[in-house]
Amino acid sequence: MENSEFNKNVFINCPFDNDFRLLLIGIIFTVVYFEFKPRLALESADSGETRISKILKLINDSKFGIHDLSRILSSQENEYFRMNMPFELGIDYGCKRLKEGIWSGKKILILEKERYRFQKAISDLSGSDIKSHNDEVSKVVFAVRDWFITEELKRGDSGKRVWDEYNDFQAYLYDQVVEKDGHTTIDEVQIIEIIHYINEWFGVSH
Amino acid sequence: MTSKSQHIVKNPSGGWAVKRSGSSRVTKVYLNKKEAIERGRAIAKNQKSELYIHGVDGKVLEKDSYIMDAEK
Repeated sequence: MENSEFNKNVFINCPFDNDFRLLLIGIIFTVVYFEFKPRLALESADSGETRISKILKLINDSKFGIHDLSRILSSQENEYFRMNMPFELGIDYGCKRLKEGIWSGKKILILEKERYRFQKAISDLSGSDIKSHNDEVSKVVFAVRDWFITEELKRGDSGKRVWDEYNDFQAYLYDQVVEKDGHTTIDEVQIIEIIHYINEWFGVSH
Repeated sequence: MTSKSQHIVKNPSGGWAVKRSGSSRVTKVYLNKKEAIERGRAIAKNQKSELYIHGVDGKVLEKDSYIMDAEK
């Protein structure tokens, strides 16, 4: 793998459930907006490869990691809380701290729904700068934008501008998916297809 | 979506904004979404364009077109 590819890859470790879907689309859109490449475990349908093998490869190939811990709390009685996200964050953190070379320059963004809730579940992260989004897409767009600017780009379009473009993209997506392709709603379309439309949108509008 | 399309979008610092496609400049911000829709609809009708009403998460909830058939 080329260094230039590594430097553009962003491993996105988020819930893939319907409740998180629009937040995930907002994160992916912002990553592409700043000309980085989103990498998700969903991108490969090869059943012969175990999920953890795919994830290890994505972490190894990505300078950036966005990890959302919103599902550390189960939402109803007898529902298990989700451990995949903190587990994969741990692998990414270990990769950054224990591997040398390009991996020591890895950048990690940790997102949570509420600001201090994670400290009760993962006290090892106390003192880490975790960004909260309150399950609002606009807040997650601003958080990812601010992180790229702080960690890498130093300057760039405002969060407000990214949010406005995100809304324009949603209109484009509605036209393509509902009006042209005949879906009832954009919720029927897989995330991988959404990434295709995001890339197409930036090709068309920029 | 045409370049003149109007959008009712959540304003990150509060309220609902009326804005044109491709522009970050907001026509006006309203505290009440219904008022924003009325304003956006009036502009879209006047300009014979489209109105997209977005939800808090950006998703399009409703679209109305005022483009005359001959102009499509």
